[in-house]
Amino acid sequence: MFFVAPALIVLAAILFYPIVDSVLLALQRVQLAGGAVTQEWIGLGNFTRLFSDPVFWRAALNTAYFSVMEVILVTLISLGVALLLNHPFGRSGFFRILLIIPWAIAPVANAVLWKWILNANYGVLNALLKSLGVIDYNQVWLGTPFSALNFLLIVDVWKSVPFVALLMLAGLQRVPQSLYRAAYMDGAGPWQSFLNVTLPTMRGVIAIAIVLQTIWSLRVFDLVFVLTRGGPADATALLNFLAYRVTFNFLDLGYGSAIANVIFALTFVLAALYVWLLWPREIKGAR
Amino acid sequence: MTFARLQQGGPLRQVMVIAGLILFTCWSAGPVLWLILSSVLEQKALIAQPPDLSPRNFTLENFSTVIGAAASLGRGIVNSLIVAVFSTALALALGAPAAYALARLPVPRANNISFLILATQMLPGIAIAIPLFIVISRLGLIDNVLSLGVVYLSFNLPIVIWILRGFFLGIPAGIEKAAAIDGAGIFATFWHIILPISLPPLSAAAVFAFVEAWNEFFFALILTRQQAQTTPLVIANFAGQYQTVFGQMMAAAVISVAPVILLAILFRNQIIRGFADGMMKG
Repeated sequence: MFFVAPALIVLAAILFYPIVDSVLLALQRVQLAGGAVTQEWIGLGNFTRLFSDPVFWRAALNTAYFSVMEVILVTLISLGVALLLNHPFGRSGFFRILLIIPWAIAPVANAVLWKWILNANYGVLNALLKSLGVIDYNQVWLGTPFSALNFLLIVDVWKSVPFVALLMLAGLQRVPQSLYRAAYMDGAGPWQSFLNVTLPTMRGVIAIAIVLQTIWSLRVFDLVFVLTRGGPADATALLNFLAYRVTFNFLDLGYGSAIANVIFALTFVLAALYVWLLWPREIKGAR
Repeated sequence: MTFARLQQGGPLRQVMVIAGLILFTCWSAGPVLWLILSSVLEQKALIAQPPDLSPRNFTLENFSTVIGAAASLGRGIVNSLIVAVFSTALALALGAPAAYALARLPVPRANNISFLILATQMLPGIAIAIPLFIVISRLGLIDNVLSLGVVYLSFNLPIVIWILRGFFLGIPAGIEKAAAIDGAGIFATFWHIILPISLPPLSAAAVFAFVEAWNEFFFALILTRQQAQTTPLVIANFAGQYQTVFGQMMAAAVISVAPVILLAILFRNQIIRGFADGMMKG
């Protein structure tokens, strides 16, 4: 027990106490003025305010679109990449390095890089698309609401794919070769063995990847902060960023906590789902 | 068609795989190459459309200017190093014994505790940021590298425990029995027998924790002001202030990401095995 206790005490201090306190803060009006914190109980006031706040609904909608699209794109692209790298041609260590580099790049450095790539006047994306004849004159990629949110999405997909692809690759390598051999004996073609062997055995891994990616997409922050600060016209204000802005720019700590609680509740449900997927079962599948 | 041939596929599929691999290479490496190229090109060549890549435009000036001009970058790197090393060391020191106990010793409800710890790793920073900010402000520990390092335990400790637990679960029971017959207690077994054979997963966990701490931005933004600013903050400020000196911005970014990319490449096999497996095994 005394092997585990120090770790648990530390986690309790930096995690469980703040979580409980965060719920309590959401029930108060907490203001920061001149370095002093003033608190006053207002019951569910912050939450009723939340439900009638158009900015909150805008951010919720943005987040829903961002997360759903991101999960779909990341899952499909990662599965494709994993299949490529599992093919005899793709097994070289070179491709593993290609996967690990975007993962290791700091999200902030990544955001700064893309800010430069997407620059309206001198960015390389404009130069590239102009020389290919796709566009005639420079576009302000982060200037219009729809385009800004989608570029945020593309950049985050770029950053997220490698890791999920690694998860899926590990899953693919665990599909027993004997199953493919059996499918081959039964006369199954490559497409059939993908549908009937690969996908069913990968079901668990794909489910885990989807849940994890949903959780990760809910906490995208650095990208929004560096690329758009939530603009234009709150088009890229995701819930996480909104909670930050309300708390640390508007210094409305209670209301910020209420938004943070919404994110926490969503994540909590997803984390529970993840644990349920991983929980060791008595009988592990049919095999 | 033999089975081995089947796995490679016919000519059509081979062409598709090669095309896919080329596409994947461009998509992954393109932005990174552009980052490096931008950092060694003169401003004039960089803002030409299309960029002028002739060899005479290559220069290391961006790097020397950034290193010379921005004292904040040097301080940021030192701070990041302290935070990352401190947080990683603490996570390993607290996490390794905990992981061992959860995997091998008769801890009541070990499974529940393990999964609770795993779930905490999923928490978004904002869920704990506001109370932590209030507490740390009251303690007067804002803008302090060590308090930042302790906060980083909130995500590093769970991940270290989870990676190591996965490894410890796979150790054959005979090893501990043999140690017990030789009269080794639990502590001696852990220290002299288990830890030495756990170097690969320990290094994977360490690299993982180091990279996460080095790259972290959100808590650093909230909990530091001037003295304790870490590299990501310096880079973000840079991008806000010097919007137009693109080459220098990229040079600063290259300096900030180079150490962790090197680490990640060196330890890629341990990371891939340790983490990919850890996230999927119950």
